[in-house]
Order: sequence, then C-alpha cells, then structure tokens
Amino acid sequence: MAVIPTLVRKDIANFLRNRAAVSLTFVVPIVLIYIFGWVFGLNQKDTGPTGIRLAVVNASPNPAAQKLVDALRAEKAFRVVTTFDNPDRTTRPLTEADLRPLIRDGRFRFAVVIPADVVRTDDIGLHLQILSDPRNDIEAQTVNGLLQKAIFSNVPELLGQSLQARAKQFLGDGRFNQFNRGIANSVATAFGGDPAQIQRTIESGSLGLDRITRPAKPADPTLRRLDNAPAAAPTPGTPAAAKPVPATAADFFSRLVKIDQEQVVGKNVQSPAATRLVGGWAIMFLLFAVSGGAAAFFDEENAGVFQRILSAPVSRAQLLWSRFLYGVLLGLVQLLTMFLAGHLMYGIDVFGHLGNLIAVSVFAAAACSSFGMLIAALAPNATAASGLSTLLVMVMSATGGAWFPMSFMPEFMQTIGKFTLVYWSMEGFQQVLWAERSFVELLPILGILAGITLAVMTVAIWRLNKKSIFA
Amino acid sequence: MLSLRSVTKRYGALTALDGVSLDIARGEFFGLLGPNGAGKSTLMSLAAGLRPPDAGVLTLDGVAVTPSDPATRTALGLVPQSLALYDELSALQNLQVFGRLYGLHGGVLRERIDEALAAVGLTDRRRDQVKTYSGGMKRRLNLVAALLHRPKLLLCDEPTVGIDPQSRNAIFDYLEARNRAGLTIIYSTHYMEEATRLCSRIAIIDHGRIHALGTLDELLTRLPFEEEIGFPAIPATAALAAELGAQGTLTTLDGRHRFEPRADFPLSAFYARTEAHGLAPRLFTAARPTLEAVFLHLTGRNLRE
Ligand SMILES: Nc1ncnc2c1ncn2[C@@H]1O[C@H](COP(=O)(O)OP(=O)(O)O)[C@@H](O)[C@H]1O
Ligand SMILES: [Mg+2]
Repeated sequence: MAVIPTLVRKDIANFLRNRAAVSLTFVVPIVLIYIFGWVFGLNQKDTGPTGIRLAVVNASPNPAAQKLVDALRAEKAFRVVTTFDNPDRTTRPLTEADLRPLIRDGRFRFAVVIPADVVRTDDIGLHLQILSDPRNDIEAQTVNGLLQKAIFSNVPELLGQSLQARAKQFLGDGRFNQFNRGIANSVATAFGGDPAQIQRTIESGSLGLDRITRPAKPADPTLRRLDNAPAAAPTPGTPAAAKPVPATAADFFSRLVKIDQEQVVGKNVQSPAATRLVGGWAIMFLLFAVSGGAAAFFDEENAGVFQRILSAPVSRAQLLWSRFLYGVLLGLVQLLTMFLAGHLMYGIDVFGHLGNLIAVSVFAAAACSSFGMLIAALAPNATAASGLSTLLVMVMSATGGAWFPMSFMPEFMQTIGKFTLVYWSMEGFQQVLWAERSFVELLPILGILAGITLAVMTVAIWRLNKKSIFA
Repeated sequence: MLSLRSVTKRYGALTALDGVSLDIARGEFFGLLGPNGAGKSTLMSLAAGLRPPDAGVLTLDGVAVTPSDPATRTALGLVPQSLALYDELSALQNLQVFGRLYGLHGGVLRERIDEALAAVGLTDRRRDQVKTYSGGMKRRLNLVAALLHRPKLLLCDEPTVGIDPQSRNAIFDYLEARNRAGLTIIYSTHYMEEATRLCSRIAIIDHGRIHALGTLDELLTRLPFEEEIGFPAIPATAALAAELGAQGTLTTLDGRHRFEPRADFPLSAFYARTEAHGLAPRLFTAARPTLEAVFLHLTGRNLRE
C-alpha cells in the first residue's frame, strides 16, 4: 500500500497551501541572498561608479600603450576623452599641456598621461602620470584602483617590458642577451620549441603575463589553478615557456600593483563567497522551515490527525519516516532553487556540476530534515520548538560558516562549527561548486552528512515515541 | 463484535481505565456516557489500536486489537474527539488522503468521497480550505472521513462538541441511518440527551470504571424513585426544602430544586407536605427521571461538573 507516498504528498500539498511557509522557505532566502550579495558586492555587474570623465594623452608609440588606452575605454567606470574641442567646433588630439587648465576649469577631475618613455630603464614599473583634482577622496581612490586594474589586467606586456628593460640595464646589453638566450634554450630543451622564437617572446616582455587575467591572492591554491586554466589559451610561439611563470609573476605583480580585488570580474563568478552566501542562507532557512514544520506537525494540536492516521493501517514508523522523507524532498527542492537563484544572480556554475550538487543537496537536506525531527521530538510544543530551533539554527549557522568564513572566528568556535551539519553542508557545496571535486572525492563529506542524519534520527525517533500524542 | 476483558490503562500514576469489561454486539448503537476525564477517549484509543492496554485484552471479531498489527484496523473507523483534519487542505483533499491510507484509489475513492460529501451536505464547499469552515462543517467532515473505507465498527468520540443544533441533528440523522444499514457504532458523550436519543445500550463510565450498563429503561430501574420533582428555590419553598433533605436527594441548580424521593416516600406523602406548607400545586413539576439522575445516583457526581 502506498502509505508513505500518500503521506508525503499530503505534506507537500499542505505546505504549498501555507503561504507563510512557502515564502519563508523560498522567497525570503532569495531576497536575503540578493540583498547580502549586493552588500558584499557580489553582483558587480551593476555596482561601482560609471561615466567618470577621464582625459587620456598617449604620447608613446609603444603598441602596448595603445592597448592600455583601449582598456581604459572598455572600463565602464570611465568616459575616456582624447580630443580637444576647438572653439570653431573642430577637434584635435589632447596634449599634456591642455590638461592642467582643463582640470582647473573643472572639465575633468582625472587625467592620465602615457609619456613617450612609458617603459623606462631606470626603474621597475611603468612611468605613468596621473593628474587629478581629488575633490572627493573616495572617488580619487576608486579611480586610482581602477586605473591600476586596467593596467594590470589588460596590458601586462608593459610591465614585462619594464622588467626586461630594467634587467638589461642591470646586466648590460651583452650579458642580458646571453641571459635571455640561456633561458630560452633551457626552456626549449625542457619543453620543446624554437629557442630563437622563445627568446624573442621573452624580450618582447610577454613573459606569459598576458595570461594573468585575474589578480590572485598568491596563497590561495584554487585561484592559482584558475589562473592556469585552459580558458586563457596559450599564445602561439610561447609553447611552454609561459607555463611555470604566471604564478610567480602573479606573486610578484600583486606586490607591485596594489589591487584590492579578490574575485573574478564578469559573469562567471564561481565565487566561494557567492557559494557561501547562497548555501548558507539556504541551509539556514531550510533548517527553520523543517524544524518549524516538524514541530507544528507533532504538536498536540494535531493529536486528532495522528489518531486518525494511526487508526488506519499505518504504522508509526511509516508516519515518522514519511515526515522525514518529506523534509528531504522539500530541502532538495529548496536548495536547488536557491542555487538556481545563485546561478542567475551571481553566475554560480550550477549546471556544470548538477549531479554532484544534487548529491550533496540530498544529503544536506536529509541532515536538515533529521534536525527538524529532533527539534519536534525535544520541544514540548510548537512555540518552544520555535525558540529552541531559532537558537540552535543561529548557533549552527554562525559556527558552521553559513554567515562568514570559519577562519573569521576564534578557534574554539571553529571547533564547535565542525560538529554542525551546517559546516558539512557548506563544505559539500564549496567542494562541488568551487573546488569542482568529483563524486568519489565527495564521498567522505556525504558519509559524514549521512552519519549525522542517522545519529540525529535515532535520537529523534526514540524521543518522538515518548511524545504524549503517541503515549 | 468488540469485546474488552478486564482492560486497564495507566498514564503514569493515573489509572485511566480500571479493569473494564464490555461486549458490544454487531449492529448495536452503543453509548459511553461519562463526564470529562472519565476514560472515554482512552477506551476509544485502545479499541482503535492506537495504544496497547497495560492489562487485559481487546478483541475485534476474535482477533486481538494491538498497535503492532495495522491490518486489523481496516475493519474499524475512528472519529477522534479533537478535529482530525488538515486545515490548509480542502475537504476533497482531506478525504483523498484518508481514503488512500486505506488503500482506496481511482474511481472507487472518487465515488466514496462524492457520496460522503453529499451525505453531510459539503459537496458545494468541497474545494474550500477546511479552515474556512464553520465548527459544524468541520465536525461533519471529521465524521465522514472515518467512514470512507466502510468499516464494520465506528468509534465516535464526542463527535458533536462545540457544534450548532443543525449540524448536530445532521450528524445524528446520518449516524442513525448508517446504524440501520448495519454499522456498529460506539458513541461516547457527556450529554445524556445524546445517549438517550441515539443509543440502544448505554454504559455509564466514571474514573475509568463502568458503573452501569444497559438500555435506558434498564438504567432507570436502578433509581429508587419513579419521578423526580422540580420546584423553584424561593423563600416560600425554603421550609419545605429543608424537610425534604431527609426523604430523598435534594439538589439545587440554576435557582431550582430537584427532589428525588426515597423509595419509601410516596408521591402522596410529598403532596401532603406541600399542602401543609400552603404551596400551590402549580409550583411543582413531576417528570420521568433522566440519565442525569441515574449518573448522580450511581456516582454521587453531576455529569457536567
Ligand atoms: N496521554 C495522556 N497522558 C496522561 N494522562 C492522560 C492522557 N490522556 C488522558 N489522560 C488522563 O486520563 C484520564 C482519562 O482521560 P480521557 O480518556 O481523555 O477521558 P475522557 O475522554 O472521558 O474525557 C484523564 O484524567 C486524563 O487527564
Ligand atoms: Mg475524551
């Protein structure tokens, strides 16, 4: 007899008819995920300044300098102006001499000059001139940061050339040539390729730095792996020389250029922050939903319904497990809905990992469902259950890393956190969506979640059997 | 059909049922009359197999009723005292759930549901959420939900609590019709009027014990008097009331005295006294005693205290 499906279907129908429960489970967390994503700057697509007038004078014949201008044009924060409007409505290119009067007149607040000697031999780094009217401190800092970002992420050759020039000056022409040839030869020996071409590539300053499209925190191995990802196709002519370079170069340049930006820009934000945000709120609200639901379900108020169901050919075990199963289904749908929302809002790659995401979600939902059963078992009534679950859910979410990374917390709290189902669920989500682990690699986490579920259900069923509605 | 042998049920220190023995025959409309806390619901839940007795046995057609054997329960239907409905769902959805739990499905289930809804006048409201129903509508739905699977025995635990007179009558009519059609019913109540109207046999239960059992007439023979006499509790009757205490039981409720004479105190003697006190006969009413009196006589308690 299809007792359990009937009971589960009934629970689902009951849930769907309860608008408050539906919105608490689905709508509220999505709204919060959106709001907090906005607060944390995860949806960068529509944040930050736009249209700041920026005068650009490019006096350098270096093709890389033109690339920098193009990069600045592409930056949506800037409206790049390179021409001067004559009174007779004709235009001519801006010159450095124009800039100061224009800034004083308030026509621009920021200007960039790329001098002829943008790559200098007497210093590491680039020789750029930035003129400004720092009327607004925050704006000035933002512009500075954006300029650096444009330089760093779009024209690494310039920096490479700067390095080369500096080395040349330091070592002397002949030795420098020799040095480069030596490197090119060893690279060719080790990885194959034409030594002469490799040397030319090195001397052009293209140390493979053009692959660094994202500044990285050097200590984060995940980021480094992304830097090497095949998405940045190797430039022909630098077959292998580039391979070992980026990480080191990234280390170096992240010190040279201060860019305070941990995450990838653009659509494909596979951000651990977004994953945490979505997973964290989803788990938290799921816990509220299942514990509130289960507590109301086992409340004395429903004593009649229990009597009716149990006076039918239904065993108590069927009743309890149907409730658990319902919680798992609700949780699975809720988690996947949240991640789908995360996909739409922050570009979390849900569909690339759908199978593993479902696996983790099923086990996380099972753990949450068992928690709901436990709350229902321990609390004498729905009101007490709501108090108890609020406390426990908050503590578990905070220590389990749903709100902020665990590393922000004192060590003892991190230790507590590791005993929570929240921690292991979050860990599962991160492993799937961020670290892109395979199913087999996920098994330990799934095992732990299953263990938590089993242990909690054992206690919950033992206590539920003592409830007065069953006595 | 259902038989209880020395059934005892305790909740901790409290004995809710104390050695109850009963036999209920097929086709009976059996009443269980007792005040709140008497043990009626406990007896019902044991009969429905919701909980096991601490001592004694219950059998349904010779088969022991226990929680561990769900299959035996298909022959009975329980109308729980507290409303056993999903408020958020419609009547239709509620009946679908409960019908499916008994293995009904498809056309048969649909037919039974239509029939049930029509029988208690809920067809028009069948798609509305139960929480929008009146108390009486909920009670009617609560009742028919127990009958979809056509049980042989219906356990009705105070099915008319907090209900309007129309719904009450609808329920009575429905139950009487089903009983005539062969359904055995055990009906618990603390309203003696209900037991009087509906039940062919009545057990008077209090403190977990059966104090008397029989038809209404049989129960009334337990009383030592033929008629009970009522009169207003006014200063003019105070002296009479004081004298009557020694001749029977005198109780006062809502400004009226009720006098149940001792067997050896005939009505002629009573009226002689009223004359002596100069009280007009129209002040007095004589009536056939009710179950209330039987209950009071047997337990020393009022049904509705
Ligand atoms: N689940 C329970 N736990 C403890 N005591 C109970 C429980 N159910 C009923 N009782 C007690 O048992 C006695 C009989 O209750 P019950 O069978 O509900 O009486 P009735 O239905 O006649 O009002 C009452 O004193 C009641 O308080
Ligand atoms: Mg009761």
